[in-house]
Amino acid sequence: MNCFAARQDFPAFWRRELSAERRAALGAHLGQCPKCDQAFRLFAISAPVLHSEQGPDLRAAPAQEFTLESVLRRPSADPRANYREPRRWLAMCASALIFLAASTGAYLAVTPPADTLSEALTNPSEPSAQQLFGPDLSELSSDLSG
Amino acid sequence: MLGLAASRKFGWRLISRPDEELIADALSGQPAAFSELATRHRARVERLCQRFFSDPEIARDLAQECFIRAYTALSSFRKEMPFGGWLRAIVTNLCYDELRRRRRRPEELVGDFTAPEVQWMRLVCEATPEQIVSDAEQRREAHDLAHRLLATLKPEDRTVLIMKDSEGMNVSEIAETMGWSAAKVKIRAFRARQALRRQAERLQAAGRRWTS
Repeated sequence: MNCFAARQDFPAFWRRELSAERRAALGAHLGQCPKCDQAFRLFAISAPVLHSEQGPDLRAAPAQEFTLESVLRRPSADPRANYREPRRWLAMCASALIFLAASTGAYLAVTPPADTLSEALTNPSEPSAQQLFGPDLSELSSDLSG
Repeated sequence: MLGLAASRKFGWRLISRPDEELIADALSGQPAAFSELATRHRARVERLCQRFFSDPEIARDLAQECFIRAYTALSSFRKEMPFGGWLRAIVTNLCYDELRRRRRRPEELVGDFTAPEVQWMRLVCEATPEQIVSDAEQRREAHDLAHRLLATLKPEDRTVLIMKDSEGMNVSEIAETMGWSAAKVKIRAFRARQALRRQAERLQAAGRRWTS
């Protein structure tokens, strides 16, 4: 048996699907070839998940009657229910609400600017020239014009 | 006597009913037919989920979610493909999505080993191949350590390895199931094997340090 054939047989050896002769040949090769022996030991670390037919929990689990109703009725039927999915939605809703409240408050707090220049000049809330500069200044301006 | 014979005959008929017949019954509004179908395929589906997730509760929940999805999408099932293959595609995509969703900082591979894990690593380093194979079946820690090793891989790499090595699927089947190109599957498989080997060597070296 060469190294390539030996390594091809690792999965079948793990699953006990090799014939006795082939198994013995592989064992003999692994005894002689340190590289293949090392490769098998590396293979053996991941093989319990990747190459075993049955996992430990499946063997231990009792054979339960499986009905569609039992699945649909079970609270954890949707795996997302267990994995913090609701919390994420809650956080997203809360941040959206905070953003909405903050933007509404900011909008209401600011006084809207006047639309046109004439509106700005006629706006009674705006201070007049007399209020700003006093009566003397207005008389001076009429003298100049006269 | 006649009733017993009839029930036996009925029971035999139930067992031997093909998947297609059960699917047709389920589509015509008989949930019991789908329950029988699910019972028939349940062990394989759970086993596949266990290859993705070490936690048995997560694996069972995902298996159940898979059957719910299969039931709701049963009308889209095409008769020309086997039901088992269709179910496997649903499970794989479901587990892959869950792996991506749960992606987080990878676990420390060579962190603390439990005492049984140290024993298992010692066995892997020193025992004969026959001993390793026979002991692995009885050791929960062998399963846990293998999951710890696989958890260091990217979800894509892990999915490809499971589909290729555990399910024996070829490149075109994987590509069709996942909606990837064949080239991507080949590249992923190559990189996954490289990464797995590298991480296994790290784990083995750490195991040797712990056992010495």
